[in-house]
Order: sequence, then structure tokens, then C-alpha cells
Amino acid sequence: MSAMLELKDLYGGYGKITILNGTTFSIPRGTITTVIGPNGAGKSTVFKAIFGMLDIHSGQIIFDGEDVTRSSPKQMIGHGVTYVPQGRNVIPQLSVWHNLEMGGITSNDQASVKRRMELVMDQFPMLRQFKDRKAIELSGGQQKQLEIARSLLLDPKMVLIDEPSIGLSPNLVQEVFETLKALRDEGVTILMVEQNAKAALAMSDYGIVLELGQMRMHDKADKLLADPKVGQLFLGGHMEEVA
Amino acid sequence: MAELLQILVSGLSAGAIYALAAVGFTLLWQASQTINFAQGEFVMLPAFFVLAGMTIFGLPLWAAILTAMVLSLLILGAMFKKLIVEPMLPHGTLPLVIATIALGLLMKESVKEFYSAQGQPFPTLFPQHVLDFFGASISVQDICNLIVAFAAIISLQLFLGRTRTGRAMQATAQDPRVAEILGVDVKRMVMYTFLINGALAAIASILISPVYLAKFSNGETLGMIAFIAAIVGGFNQIKGALVGGLLIGVIDNVAAVYISAEYRAAIPLILLIVIIMVRPQGIMGTSEGRTV
Repeated sequence: MSAMLELKDLYGGYGKITILNGTTFSIPRGTITTVIGPNGAGKSTVFKAIFGMLDIHSGQIIFDGEDVTRSSPKQMIGHGVTYVPQGRNVIPQLSVWHNLEMGGITSNDQASVKRRMELVMDQFPMLRQFKDRKAIELSGGQQKQLEIARSLLLDPKMVLIDEPSIGLSPNLVQEVFETLKALRDEGVTILMVEQNAKAALAMSDYGIVLELGQMRMHDKADKLLADPKVGQLFLGGHMEEVA
Repeated sequence: MAELLQILVSGLSAGAIYALAAVGFTLLWQASQTINFAQGEFVMLPAFFVLAGMTIFGLPLWAAILTAMVLSLLILGAMFKKLIVEPMLPHGTLPLVIATIALGLLMKESVKEFYSAQGQPFPTLFPQHVLDFFGASISVQDICNLIVAFAAIISLQLFLGRTRTGRAMQATAQDPRVAEILGVDVKRMVMYTFLINGALAAIASILISPVYLAKFSNGETLGMIAFIAAIVGGFNQIKGALVGGLLIGVIDNVAAVYISAEYRAAIPLILLIVIIMVRPQGIMGTSEGRTV
């Protein structure tokens, strides 16, 4: 299977501070890959690097066979990548409907954006119910669903999703995971960072262990789950301590 | 009763013009954290563009107004953003505030130096009749000013709420980080805000100058009133700036007649103090507490 996304020896950070130290991995098409690792490993930073929100010092990002290194967020959306950062990302005073619309703001084809909005609301019936409410009035879980729905507006090839489970009840986490699986089954490639590593790996196809801005392990998710070194990592330790 | 009606109408009329300046003020704050202390001078200057167009270049009034509008968009909108806000903002809000104070002084002194230190009569766009309405003398000019100012604010509200670009501007103002990840052209949206502010200032200038004469020092009171109106109404709401502007216009006029003409300038300041003590987020405002 050809790679959807490839990072080649990526160095980058904020200004002079380097966080990514030669990050290299590739993500196969139509799969869910979860990035795990200790705090400060650079998990969220990798997403920002891919999405054009980080200073890249050297290295390459290849998406769908094209060099997209240092593309702007808008250009990345054009390439078919969307990004759901961690925390709250709704536009608080706009309605649910208009939040969805913003997911298609880069498109000039308004008719197709409207159609996609309807489609996405079929996928997330809650959104249709609360269509005219201000986004800020939704619960945390509903807001997360709105963000995910909004990231699907332009029918992306790949979704980057950072810590979708934060602040959600276990039921809602399962719901979000089911949504992501359904997307994968439709052919969307998903790259996820998740604190809740065990649960995330259990529903993923692949896992990547990131440490100090470098890829340490990259394997099938079930293999990583069974690996004692990774088990140690879940408990907050470093891999070297067991190795 | 007739007298009160008369005062209310002229208060609302003045208030609607203050609201134009106050709305621009809050827009700039929302979109780019710019507190523009030159806002009063922004309202003072376009009238002089019109006068210069008419006296120096011999343009008819309508052409001079059109030229003034274009110059306002260019200078008070685009150049203000490019030459002052963009270079200063990375250094923080305070340096930018100081820069806008300096800009206000520069504009004021330039008009005084290069045009005139005297108040200049300014052509009015509207008939000067006075209507008799149940014994109250209502000036047609006041009514027209009120209508034009309201029309401008309502069109702005419609633009922000009913168009995709308007909503993208709202998204930018509410959360620029999220707007960016959605692919909104954040820089362009901020530029639009500055252009809108330039246009609002020009409209306010053209409406208010026939009433008070065009004078280099007009910005002092106008800027203060716009600032107070924005805070009283609620700094983060266009509706708030509108309410604040109208309220100050009315209170100012009522106070001048019923309380004391000498102390009228103090009344908006007293209102400001009361609001800050009782309802710091402003009459219409929502508090800007942030949850993480």
C-alpha cells in the first residue's frame, strides 16, 4: 500500500527551540495511526509541522506523493488535510450551522459545501437538532463532535486529530472512536494523538511511539499493545528504563 | 413634553454618529487587539479631505465626498494597518496604544498647520428645515443623520451576519487560531475590519461636521466619547457600541438642558465610572473570561 503521508528526517520547532529532531515515519492510506509518547515528546508538534504551523528547519513532508513541506494551513486544506487541534476549537458565538459552514470556507463551490453540510449532519444527527444554537451552548462532547464534523466538510483525504478524548466521558470517547473508525472505512486516513493510549491503540491499525521528537517504534497497533516496553511507557516511564 | 422630544431626537442623532465611531473602535479591538486612541482624529480628518477637495481642487460636493471616502479607506484603513498596527502589534498592546496616541496628535497638528486652525463651515447634505411635530421643533438634518448612521450600522450587521465573508470575519475576531486552521484568510479579514473602520469614520465625519464645524481639535471630544460609548455598551459587541453611543448622545443632550450646560462634558465620564463599577463588561457586553 502506498503511503498517504511521509515525514522524512524532519527538524523543526518554534523559533530557535527545536522540538522535532529528525522525525521520520510514513502513514499508509486508509488507516488509523495513533501517535503515543511521553509528555513533551513532540506529538502535537508533529501535527503543527504537517499543517504548516511550525518553523521547519530541515526535512521533508510528502503528502499523497507531493512535497508539501512548509505549506500554509490553507494550502494543506487544499491538498486534502484537515486538523482538529486539542481543546476547544469551535467558533463560540457562531451557530452550529455556521461553524460547519466555516469548515468549507476555502471552497468556492457553495452548492457542494451546502450538500456536504447536509451529509455531515446526517452523520451527526445531534448537529441537526442544535443547528441554530450557538456553538458555545453545546456540551464539551457535542463541541468535539462539531469539530470533527466540521473537519469533514471538504471531504478530506486525511484528518489530523489531537487528543479527541480530552474532557469527554468514556461513552463519548467510544462514540468519537467509532466515528473515526467509520471514517477510516470510508477511506479517510486518520492520524491521531491520544493520551488515552491503550484505548486508542486498541482501535487503531498502527501505532507510532514518539520520544524527544524522534520516532522510536512504528508497528501494528496490536503488536505495540503487547510490547512490554510500550506498556512501561503507558505508566509514564521512558522506554530506556525497561530496555 | 415637546421640549423633551426635541432633545431626545437631537440626542439620538448625535448618539448615532458617536455610535459609528464606537462601532469602529470595537471592531478594531475584536479583530486585532488594537485600541485606537486616534479614533477621534479619524472622524475629524475626512471632513478636511472633503474641504480640500472642494476648495483646493474645485470638486463638486459629491465628488469631494467620494474622494474623501476613498482616501479614508486608503489612509485610515489600509495604511494605518500596514504602517502602524502591523509593525507595532508584535511589541504588545501598549506600544500600539502609544503609537495611536502619537498618530492622533500628528493628524490634529497637521490639519492645524497645513489647513487651518479655525473651525471651517462644512456643507450639509440635507435640507435645513425644521419640522413642527406636536409643538416640538425637529430638525430634518437630525433625522437624516440618524437614518444614515443607522443604515450604515444595520448594513454592517447584515454583512457580518448574513454573508460568508462577514462570518469569516466574526470567526477571525472570536478565535483567530481556529479561523486559521479552517483556512480563513485571517490577514485579509483583519484588513477588511480596518477598511470598514475607515469607512465608518468617514461617514461619521461627513455627518457631524455640518453640525459642529470642521475643526482640527474635534477629535479630542469625539475620540473620548467613542471610547466611553464602546466601554459603556460593552467592548466586545457591536450592539453594545450602538447602545453606548445612543445613550451618551441622549444623556449628553438631556443633561445640557435639565442639569447643567457647564457640566455636560462630565456626564459621560460619570456614566463611565458608574458602568465600570456596576457592570464592568458593559450594558450589552459579555465578560471575557476565558476557559481552557
